[in-house]
Amino acid sequence: MELSICQLLFYILAALAILCAFAVVSFRNPVSSAMGMALCFALTAAILFGMGAQFLGIVQLIVYAGAILVLFLFVVMMLDIKDEERKTNGRCNAIAGAIVAGMLAGIIASIAIGLPGATDNPCPAKALCNSFGDLAIGQPATPATDSATPASTCSTCPAAVTPGAPLPGPETYGGPLPKIDPVASDNDTKLIGATLFSQYNIQFVILAFALLSGTVGAVALARKIRKD
Amino acid sequence: MIPLAHYLIFSGILFAIGVAGVIVRRNIIVVLMCLEMMLSAANVSLVAFSRAQGTDGIPVYDAQILALFVVGIAAAEVAIGLALIVALFRARKTVESTALTTLKD
Repeated sequence: MELSICQLLFYILAALAILCAFAVVSFRNPVSSAMGMALCFALTAAILFGMGAQFLGIVQLIVYAGAILVLFLFVVMMLDIKDEERKTNGRCNAIAGAIVAGMLAGIIASIAIGLPGATDNPCPAKALCNSFGDLAIGQPATPATDSATPASTCSTCPAAVTPGAPLPGPETYGGPLPKIDPVASDNDTKLIGATLFSQYNIQFVILAFALLSGTVGAVALARKIRKD
Repeated sequence: MIPLAHYLIFSGILFAIGVAGVIVRRNIIVVLMCLEMMLSAANVSLVAFSRAQGTDGIPVYDAQILALFVVGIAAAEVAIGLALIVALFRARKTVESTALTTLKD
């Protein structure tokens, strides 16, 4: 299986991002950790670009690598924190963390590899619907006539036929992602905005209120309390 | 094209490293950084699923909206968390999580 430049970039970026995430955990100086976090977020944004989610990639760069990082650095500078000194039980703690994280990563990887339709279907939910066709996932009980054609009862992905998608080889797991439509990719921001301001308008307003109350709460928490 | 599972494994590894950081580190600021890393790992898997569920090359935008909401909530959470850390530092002169044993004693 030959690697295209796109795939090669994904694997390189993913490896670098994981390396930076590891640096965040292992550096003892909080400023170094913050820099590692910035790199990790920038690489994650690059991976989002590669997935065709340009708007989310830009948001990731601006909000995470920009605003949140500056906030962290500001607080680190303000509090004048020294490096963590090593304690006697540090090694034991690190081993416990490594074991828990390794188990979690192993569970997630095994679930991802064992996705239904791993070898023959680009859409996992479609395969689920096929294997439980008579249950009609996500829909009220339908007459028995529908169960004869289980593929049509799937509401999650009604038309799973993706013309541009190449056939997955036997060594690929979970099915390759379908090729993105260039028109949809160009209008990514437009389509997200259309969805956000029509279907999710109320949730967006609630999010705005959450941000406002968060800001007010942060100011109220961080202000100096006068003792008089 | 890259299979969905590789994106999910990448996001899982990033999430697991974040969990390890939360367990291992004692500096509360770094713990908060690891929490942010876990949220951004979840975003990656959301966007990967939005691509995998899409039809005719158009991704499912509901998942990307959810990822956008996650980013917004993460920003609010960081503001509150850092304000709490500043208040904690004013009261205790430390940001070590092992130093907070008032409820234990």
